[in-house]
Amino acid sequence: MTLTLSLRARPPARVIANALIPERLHGIDAAGIAAVNVRCGRETVAVGELFEISGTAGEELVLAGELGRVEGIGARMSGGRVVVEGPCGDHVGARMSGGEIVVRGDAGAWAGAEMSGGLVRISGDAGARAGAAYPGARAGMTGGEIVISGDAGEEAGAGMRRGLMAVGGRAGSGAGLRMLAGTVIALGGIGAEAGIGNRRGSLVSGAPIEPLPGYAFAARYRPPALRLQLRRARELGLDVGGALLRGRWARWSGDRTELGRGEILIFDDEEVL
Amino acid sequence: MSGYRLGDTEVADTFAEAFPMRYARLVVTAATADWAYEAARSATGFATSVIGCKCEAAIERSLSPEQTPDGRPGIAVLLFAMDRESVGKRALDRVGQCVMTCPTTACFDGLESAEKTVGLGAGLRYFGDGFQASKVIAGRRFWRIPVMEGEFLVSDSLGVGSGVGGGNLVIGAAEDTGALAAAQAAAEAIRGEGIALPFPGGIARSGSKVGALTSSSMPASTNHQMAPTLRAQVDDTLVPEGVGAVFEIVIDGVDEEAVREAMRRGLHAAAAAGAAHVSSVNFGGKLGEFHFPLSELQDPP
Repeated sequence: MTLTLSLRARPPARVIANALIPERLHGIDAAGIAAVNVRCGRETVAVGELFEISGTAGEELVLAGELGRVEGIGARMSGGRVVVEGPCGDHVGARMSGGEIVVRGDAGAWAGAEMSGGLVRISGDAGARAGAAYPGARAGMTGGEIVISGDAGEEAGAGMRRGLMAVGGRAGSGAGLRMLAGTVIALGGIGAEAGIGNRRGSLVSGAPIEPLPGYAFAARYRPPALRLQLRRARELGLDVGGALLRGRWARWSGDRTELGRGEILIFDDEEVL
Repeated sequence: MSGYRLGDTEVADTFAEAFPMRYARLVVTAATADWAYEAARSATGFATSVIGCKCEAAIERSLSPEQTPDGRPGIAVLLFAMDRESVGKRALDRVGQCVMTCPTTACFDGLESAEKTVGLGAGLRYFGDGFQASKVIAGRRFWRIPVMEGEFLVSDSLGVGSGVGGGNLVIGAAEDTGALAAAQAAAEAIRGEGIALPFPGGIARSGSKVGALTSSSMPASTNHQMAPTLRAQVDDTLVPEGVGAVFEIVIDGVDEEAVREAMRRGLHAAAAAGAAHVSSVNFGGKLGEFHFPLSELQDPP
């Protein structure tokens, strides 16, 4: 069963859509869903005023329209599936613990921030601090997977403790800032100042980069765990070339100003290109 | 029902008696199929009988790169023991000594849907001396253990299933060469998914009986009833007239049906390859939970 909410018009202010997750709407009829309140700027607005409602609430929720001002889609969800037909605002999938969110467009900042499980798939670009920790928190995402087909903004995976973020394009500057563990893969390369304060995390760059002085070159090898992660990223829809799967990667260890157990893996194998 | 004939082969009116066992499936991958095979062969060495080796293990089948978690050539290995804890201990020993040490290998759980598990990488990681790291990929935890070549990747745990150990065929012919050829044909037919043949080449020439005539402390001794050289020396020989050599194929399987069908394949292959006599070993039906009467295997596979 699928419930579809189609935005009637661009909202006058930001809409906080935390309430619109399958598990909270399950079993509620159209009239009941229309009466659910969401925040729109400083006001409280009924869902029915913002969205046209069709279908039946079940495991899947489809949101359609220009949703750039709709924030927190799928936040804190623990199951089911949310499909966003078009771009969406900030905080999509934030603190989610399960289920799947598919964004067929760009997503704003904080996508999958502090999520602990589930899957977020963004077919376009993602804004800053995807999978990151909110201000004041030590740990960002602690589990689950974020797949971004386009580029990721600044500080992707900041404070990340566990999980996988796979970016088909480039990750912006400051990726893996104060990362505790987990993996951020950017097939198109990682921006400047990657991995500052990284303790045990893995940053993976499919294009050449110059690591910070807190990192030291260790070896070129074929990382077996990375092969599994790249295959997983391919399974989730990223275009991972065979060369990345077969080739050697340069391992840089760091950040030595911190624990120093982290790593930056940089693709470095001309033989297989 | 009395025995029957398959062509020129006499099939005895008896049954194989087998036991419940626990098993794990290891998926060993490597840069090449040859290295995967080396690791698997090493890991399944000295694992012929649970009595003497604490486990029974064998190569189950080769895996193409499309069939393995990391997209490299692989080998599936089945390891059987009497209980889940023993499966875990033996797997830990063998993967640590024979797979981790082998160039380019990685080791994965081939029974991910099993409800019960035992630790594998969870124990092996300590070899990393604090430099090991874990990754959770698609909900599964793996350990990266740094080694001189690079890294050894191993699954955190292994699924453990309930299997059947001790299905068997006893194949005899007039001469040793003919008996071995028939046994080899049977072993070749039996091998496949869900089946382990733990003895060398899948064939045992020294089948055993429980206990011994001369000692109360021996857990097993030669099956004097099936030894052709003793036929004129013992009163209870089971070697048929005209049989000069006998081989036993012991079959462990992932379930009762797998063992039954494996025995069926083996029986018919042995007959086609010129076996004079096929029988099975049992303990009077009092010890083993699973019985496989040869009379039920008359129809070809």
